Amino acid sequence: MSDAILRRVRPEQFREFILLFVTVGLLLFFASQIPNYFDPRSVNRLTTGLAITLVVAVGQVLVVLTRNIDLSVSSMVGLTAYVVGTILTRVEGMHPLVAAALAMAIGLALGAINGLIVAYGKVPAIIATLGTLALYRVVLVEFSGAKTVTTADLPDWLNDVPSATLASAGGYDLRLMVGIALLVAILGQLTLRYLPFGRRLYAIGSNPEAARTAGLPVQRDVFTAFALSGTLSGLAGFMFLVRFGNITVTAAQGLELQVVAAVVVGGVNIFGGSGSMVGALLGVLMIETLQQSLLRWAGISEFVKDAILGLLILVAVTADTIILGRLREMWVRVRRRDHARAQVAIADEGGVAHGA
Amino acid sequence: MAREILRRLRSWEGLLLVVLLVILAYNITRVPNFLTIGNQVNLFQLGIEKAIVVLIMTFVIISGEIDLSVASMMGLSAAVAAAVFEAGAPMPVAILVALGVGAGFGLLNGYFVAVVGLSSLAVTLAGYVGFRGLARLLVQDRSVGGFPEWFTNLGQRGLVGPLTLSILIFAVLAVIASVVLHRSGLGRLTYVIGNSAQVARYSGVSVARTKMIIFTMSGLISALAGVLMAARLGAVRASTAEGFELDIITVVLLGGVSIFGGVGSMIGVLLSTYLVLNLRNGLIIAGITGNTQTGIIGLLLILSVLVPNLAGRVQDRLRRRQVDPSMRAPPSGAAEPTRSQAAPG
Amino acid sequence: MGERGIGCVLVPTVLSWRPSEINTTDRVPTAGSWLPGFGTGDANGMIQPATERRLDDEVVATGEEFPVLKMEHVSKQFGATLALDDVSLALRRGEIHALLGENGAGKSTLIKIMTGIQTQDSGEIRIDGKPVRVTSSQDAQRLGVAAIYQEPMIFPDLSVAENIFIGHRNRGKLVDRRGMEREAAEVLARLDVTLDVGEPARGLTLAEQQTVEIAKAISLDVRVLIMDEPTASLSAHEVQQLFRIVHTLRQQGVAILFISHRMEEVFEIADRVTILRDGRWISTTPRAELTPGSAIRQMVGREVQELFRRSRREPGAVLLAVRGLCREGVFQDVSFDLRAGEVLGFAGLVGAGRTDMALALFGISPADAGEIELEGSRVTITNPRDAMALGIAYSTEDRRQLGLVMPLSIAANISLPSLPRFLSPSGMVRRAEERDAAEAFRERLSIRAPSVETPTSSLSGGNQQKVVISKWLETNPKVLILDEPTRGIDVGAKVEVHQLIDDLAARGMAIILISSDLPEVLAMSDRVLVMREGRQMAIFDHHEATQERVLSAAMGQFGDILPEGDGIDRIAAAEAITAIDRLVAGGRLVDGERQ
Repeated sequence: MSDAILRRVRPEQFREFILLFVTVGLLLFFASQIPNYFDPRSVNRLTTGLAITLVVAVGQVLVVLTRNIDLSVSSMVGLTAYVVGTILTRVEGMHPLVAAALAMAIGLALGAINGLIVAYGKVPAIIATLGTLALYRVVLVEFSGAKTVTTADLPDWLNDVPSATLASAGGYDLRLMVGIALLVAILGQLTLRYLPFGRRLYAIGSNPEAARTAGLPVQRDVFTAFALSGTLSGLAGFMFLVRFGNITVTAAQGLELQVVAAVVVGGVNIFGGSGSMVGALLGVLMIETLQQSLLRWAGISEFVKDAILGLLILVAVTADTIILGRLREMWVRVRRRDHARAQVAIADEGGVAHGA
Repeated sequence: MAREILRRLRSWEGLLLVVLLVILAYNITRVPNFLTIGNQVNLFQLGIEKAIVVLIMTFVIISGEIDLSVASMMGLSAAVAAAVFEAGAPMPVAILVALGVGAGFGLLNGYFVAVVGLSSLAVTLAGYVGFRGLARLLVQDRSVGGFPEWFTNLGQRGLVGPLTLSILIFAVLAVIASVVLHRSGLGRLTYVIGNSAQVARYSGVSVARTKMIIFTMSGLISALAGVLMAARLGAVRASTAEGFELDIITVVLLGGVSIFGGVGSMIGVLLSTYLVLNLRNGLIIAGITGNTQTGIIGLLLILSVLVPNLAGRVQDRLRRRQVDPSMRAPPSGAAEPTRSQAAPG
Repeated sequence: MGERGIGCVLVPTVLSWRPSEINTTDRVPTAGSWLPGFGTGDANGMIQPATERRLDDEVVATGEEFPVLKMEHVSKQFGATLALDDVSLALRRGEIHALLGENGAGKSTLIKIMTGIQTQDSGEIRIDGKPVRVTSSQDAQRLGVAAIYQEPMIFPDLSVAENIFIGHRNRGKLVDRRGMEREAAEVLARLDVTLDVGEPARGLTLAEQQTVEIAKAISLDVRVLIMDEPTASLSAHEVQQLFRIVHTLRQQGVAILFISHRMEEVFEIADRVTILRDGRWISTTPRAELTPGSAIRQMVGREVQELFRRSRREPGAVLLAVRGLCREGVFQDVSFDLRAGEVLGFAGLVGAGRTDMALALFGISPADAGEIELEGSRVTITNPRDAMALGIAYSTEDRRQLGLVMPLSIAANISLPSLPRFLSPSGMVRRAEERDAAEAFRERLSIRAPSVETPTSSLSGGNQQKVVISKWLETNPKVLILDEPTRGIDVGAKVEVHQLIDDLAARGMAIILISSDLPEVLAMSDRVLVMREGRQMAIFDHHEATQERVLSAAMGQFGDILPEGDGIDRIAAAEAITAIDRLVAGGRLVDGERQ
């Protein structure tokens, strides 16, 4: 790679470019293989499928940035969807926004429990959230008594939401759900870029010891990241309810892997400190594209889905460790060389003589 | 008083034994003839495959790593055995292929962890998803059965008296695992690496080789457990053994093995295996369903790490208060009383 | 890099031949005007008892304010080790105060207490005369005390500007990137430095990272800036830039505590110099009243005591020959011969590259260039197993992190490097043999423990060290590298280790003894190789090696006189030694020359 590129593009940005490039490549490949690939219906289906994963992924990014992981998201999504669904079937005339807020409140509570265990109980995140993954699912099973929320019982407005469209051009819709998801991603990106809290997340994941030495509120911020992941899972649970209507006790099972895979594939470093919502968005897009398109592509069975997901995680993590590491080395070398040149130039100019 | 309790807590095996006795007492009072061999065999049959994988997971965690892919590997090996058998191969060949796949993928896990140097969490998370995916690919949404009778008999009927093959294998492996962990060179190195890979390196120990062996064994034994499960159930689905990793890791951690590596004993792990089996049995008696049991196991998992953590912190506090009572009182006229940090480090 | 300086930072040390008494006249501070001991209260208006007031009232020459930071009678104990013993120190506004002391003199502990990483057992810290408690880095930050370490604490993923401002609490609800970068540039401009403040900090040179840390401190209105060997990894040009910054800060009224092992730097930059030795305060002197010679003498403290008399023998044939050994950026051009039955001492300061050289010989971080010959044939060593197969053993300086598996038994630790020999054909550890081997060492080295099954974590430092040495003796090495074998262990154990070294040499083992304990190196070694900043400065024969010569070579006071690189050039070395002796005897050179 030429030095000129390295001077202008950071390795992390480069990674996002690669991802964008691969995703576009994939889209074009499938477009050449599958007839009517870019017709409005397929595109709308792809974007709608993306929405829920994206919302959860945004929360996951916050957690992963701090060198932690939240595996309990799928259970939080399922539990919220079920609880809010049940409440809606029983309480007449609840305002949609109230229902959404309720979902987020439930998610917040669940996420706060994770945050307490990890940040203040000092239980490794993988253990804590593997535990609550099971625990929250059981709360759902107990709560439901193995009954199912069905579309028929839900208020009518709920059934209209999935097809609600914010804008439409030539049959390509921007569905409300997709709009919400994009809004969440944008808010997430703004948080990471412009709120001190967001910057601290990078700091904590980047060098936890230095973060503590610098007096950053590490425990509080990790707690908040988990709480936010819960809140967004709650929102995703509401979206899940809206989209599917029928909620069983196994709702959203396995979503955690999709989300973790998307985040990792999207270039959020599993060891914290680097990554962005843009990356997560690209990761979700890529995984969703792969999964949906492979189903439609002749010759590939539905069952290959998870195998590919696993391979993707492995490839992404390996690439991250090896390629990004090497890119960074090159980047540093170029910068150092430039720096040295500048120093020499200064020394020549000013005639700074050293030595006593 | 509190210190006395803490001192007791420090012997984790002691605590496990007490809890075990309580649950055992409950089971005995509620189930007539609970301690008969027949009932005990049934008890073990409930989770014998998990118990087998627990043995190798103990090595993995003591060496400071984790293997999230074991349950998916069980599913995959069962699926491989079923698929190879379906394709017309004799059952022994199918079993060997399944075991080979297990060892191969275990080696691959080990390679990425020990040689490439990735985190075992990420690598085995990929295996967790990927192996399950391969299992799906092989058996799709079908239930593959029709195994030879000798195979299913092995899984279901007593081989020696009422003891099934799985229980015998578990018993043999438990003895081997105990001996290897506590008596062999490999076991010694497992502890050394888990305590400090750096000390191992500075002592000329091949850390990578040891980790590769452990991960390969993890794959192989998980595959064996998967095949045994296929024999017991008589049919294989893609979802065979789904979610088992939670139970397996929980039992190991509950057995007193530190998630950070280097600490733990096979006795503790065997105690906790028996404890969890009894617990599940007790829960069934109490009318609590399988799913809820999983939740309780999840809670146990968190508590088994949280409780020692909190206990350690309380202990630290007590010790600090003892050492320097004078330091607690702020000097007269101090600028502003400073709050001591809530948590050290 | 990681290994360097670890010991200095992490392991509190006591040099165990602490002088039986310290010259009391030394204790009187020679600087500072003394106000009459009555009438002045502290900032809270409380009248202090007269005995305490004496120190409080030692005020800057202007006589109007308290020292910015003052430590009074601070002591700190780690286990059986007294790391700081009743140390007092005052930093004034706008002064550069150098802290000198050998490794283990207590400098690191003092800094850690000032910055709240550790808390003193007794004694008091005062800021502007008010007693304060510093129990966390936040406390220190709030009080305006900041520290910059040899290895800066940087967030590689954040931008330079963010690194500077991350600790700030009151910068508004939103991150004003532009404003922050502008301010960062301004702060850096105050230091007369330009950096691309928007770029991530990853890949900044150490010097730049340090600048960022200084900028961070300034932006927090630092009043006391502690610089712990900030120049250790900097080039000469970078050092000059750093000094410019330090001078700027001094003009702005910041009190600077400057720690460096490089004597010429201390004499170039310091206003006052405090010397610590063995955890005790020795003197505080204005720079003008101090000479490098007297500083070195105070640091060393005494004539060499007869520690241990080596039984001198004629060493055997050359066992290990090292020629031009290099590892880029760490050490270069190290050449020496090591004979059977010889003890070759490695003297130098922490970070001089001695440990790195040893790690290269042991294959932990192999050398890039140079030749190693063992018993006449060339060998390549790329990992520890290679080294062990050749009969080279390395006993680490950091026995806690790298030497012992703490929770395991003495026997398990001793057998670890030679574990394959203790395995039965079926791979089981032959415990009886293991125990016997350990038992033999327990007897031979008198390791004091209830049994060889005792976990090493419960042993004292000296006994732990004996276990580390045992585990390497069990491998039957031809060449034994001992890195700081007596650091942090008590006098008795130390004598035993010395006795053992002598024994082993007498039996024909070749020994490399790396020690920062100068008298020890001098007493134990047949020859002494001195390293400084990765370079071999000289090799002295036993009878030529004096404390002053070795320390001077190690600290670079006479670096330009000594022949660099090739320590084997005896004529040049002899000339250099004569020159040094003349200068040290004269007692004053640098000040005169500089001004």
